[in-house]
Amino acid sequence: MNIEPKQISLEKWDEQYNKLRKAGLYEPSYGGRLSRHVEDGDMRLLKLKYDNSAAALRLWNFLLTEEDRLKNARDNCKKLIGTMKDLGTIPVMAYSFENTIAFYPDGAWWIPCVMELNAGLLEIADSLGIDESFCPVRAMLGAFATEAHFPIPDFLICSVGATCDDFSAIAQRLNGMGHPIFWWEMPHRRNPKSYEDKVILPGGFAAPKCQLEFVKSELERIKVALSEISGQEMNDEKLSAGIIKANQVRKYLSELRYLAFTAELCPLPALEMLIAEMLAIHFCSDIDETIEVLKDLLDEVKTRIKNNTGFFDRDAVKIFWVNPVADLQVMNLLEDCGGRICGTEYLFSHALDEIPENIPPLDALAQMALADPMAGSTIDRASRICNDIIKYGSEAVLISRIPGASHCALEGEIIGQVIRENFDIPVVEIEVPPITDAMKPTVRTRLEALVETVKARPQNKIHKRRTE
Amino acid sequence: MICAGIDAGSRTIKVVLIDTESKRIIAKDIIDQGIEQSTLALELFENTLSKSGLKKQDVSFVVATGYGRNAIDFADTTITEITCHGVGVHHLVPDAMTIIDIGGQDSKLLRLDENGKVRDFVMNDRCAAGTGRFLEIVAQRLNVELDSIGKMAAKSKSPSPISSMCVVFAETEITGLLACGASRDDIAAGVQASIATRIAGMAGRRVMAPIVFTGGVALVPEMDNALKSALGHEITISPDPQTTGAFGAAILAARKLNGEHK
Repeated sequence: MNIEPKQISLEKWDEQYNKLRKAGLYEPSYGGRLSRHVEDGDMRLLKLKYDNSAAALRLWNFLLTEEDRLKNARDNCKKLIGTMKDLGTIPVMAYSFENTIAFYPDGAWWIPCVMELNAGLLEIADSLGIDESFCPVRAMLGAFATEAHFPIPDFLICSVGATCDDFSAIAQRLNGMGHPIFWWEMPHRRNPKSYEDKVILPGGFAAPKCQLEFVKSELERIKVALSEISGQEMNDEKLSAGIIKANQVRKYLSELRYLAFTAELCPLPALEMLIAEMLAIHFCSDIDETIEVLKDLLDEVKTRIKNNTGFFDRDAVKIFWVNPVADLQVMNLLEDCGGRICGTEYLFSHALDEIPENIPPLDALAQMALADPMAGSTIDRASRICNDIIKYGSEAVLISRIPGASHCALEGEIIGQVIRENFDIPVVEIEVPPITDAMKPTVRTRLEALVETVKARPQNKIHKRRTE
Repeated sequence: MICAGIDAGSRTIKVVLIDTESKRIIAKDIIDQGIEQSTLALELFENTLSKSGLKKQDVSFVVATGYGRNAIDFADTTITEITCHGVGVHHLVPDAMTIIDIGGQDSKLLRLDENGKVRDFVMNDRCAAGTGRFLEIVAQRLNVELDSIGKMAAKSKSPSPISSMCVVFAETEITGLLACGASRDDIAAGVQASIATRIAGMAGRRVMAPIVFTGGVALVPEMDNALKSALGHEITISPDPQTTGAFGAAILAARKLNGEHK
């Protein structure tokens, strides 16, 4: 069925669903009408605009049925491994076992948005002493307390050290609530001294070899712990197979990002791209299905590019977006204001890089973990963003702060400064709380002004590096 | 031909009519903002035209800007106040590199390039600290007219230190200062310094002179000096700062009419 790309409301999706079914829509086990998720209390879905393709429907249904998958996994005697704070590495290890499912409890930070604050998770976090001065990921505490949003994992793993101060505090509170956590330490990635052996990490950063050895020893501890909880031995062969599978996800995402960000007409809206990119870190509790979902999306994007169809005007301003948004609706808003996403840095860019397959698997995973943008300096992070601005031809940068998130408060200004030093393009910061309804006019003004600012500038100056 | 700019701000609505060719201001006016934004704006627009012996059909293009721009249904298009202030200031003070706009509800800082185009901007999005609303609250608390705040601040010998982080807490601080016998002049000066500090914090390292000050708060005496102290640069107040945004909107209306790029 040939469908003209269009953004549609949830209500319209029901009509679209009927049309697709009549045309022979393939439906996975978690398929069905998108609107049914509202019955679970996901009220924000009523206010979003969606890509109207079958591939997008599959993506959304996959995302919104994770709780069912976790429950099924538990019923089938699989062990649920909560991999916290680490963005993308430990799940690869967990999926290398046959009877474990990795799960990302941090993802609960979107529940206040999706359920429009009705779940009361932030209030529970408040009552536990983790108030609004912390990142909204504190909603995770409420989810653990109510046990209403995901089954409590059999085993919790959390990285500390050079990760995120907010999350460390929140996870310690969780530990204190009677949820034991297996802690592992992530050192602050630093440049090697002249006398030190160094290693170049995926993504291009350098680190002293001794740091890599340390991270590897931490991953060894995790491997042993996972073997104990799963009752299975882990060997290099199984880990390598897990890496190959994770790389398949990363390859698809890499291609999807490149096509979506560089196509003349936007082939996939920002919201669906955001959801797709997030799959790199959590696989939505099913890595095999993640691969299928991404394959579908990639096929759809390729078809649209081939047919020269897509979304928004051809002169939509190409925005590089830094940090994920707490309110999903803001991604729609950017497009309403005349922008499109051409480049993203959602704090896990290392999870989009392929894991080396030509070195021992634990060494490869240690390299990936150490390449985490949050484990190094903000300058490293900004430098990677600058490289991607060139790669995707971004015309402006939008740094979205998350209220209470210490990383955003500290890093935004520095990232902005580095970008301004390198490019003659506008950089603007906005703050996006879990629900922006009351602030929508002010957020809209900033987004519209950013688009106007780019459009008012001479085109030939947009990508010029000041240093050139 | 005549073009119009309407700036529907949080506290007032401003209209400016210009001659499309010369960009000369033909008429301008201001009224207080209210709930029926569109009706109020239309009344202001029609009254301004009437006073100048003009009719609606004499106006070729209308651009609405400001917080309530989308409510102005008789406008031909809307453009954000950031772009409008940039254009308005550049026309009035061509060498301006930085614009500070403090209005009733928000404050913003715009960096311009050498051609007067907006390079980027930063807006206050945390609290009424750093906005005209802070001055209004303080005027109420000190039981004086808003216009008096600047005059009182000018008489201060030792401005009272006041938090720049939160208006509500600052109000509590003012109660404490009054209880301790601080003079109202020193409190007024302290509040101005607090707003200026907030703006300086928002500006970070991105301030380049010449700096032009616009928005309703630019009319408050001594506020420019408070900003000068906080930023370490001379401050130029835009001519008729309250209507700079509406003037910029009118210029953009003229450009739209002439098919020019912004």
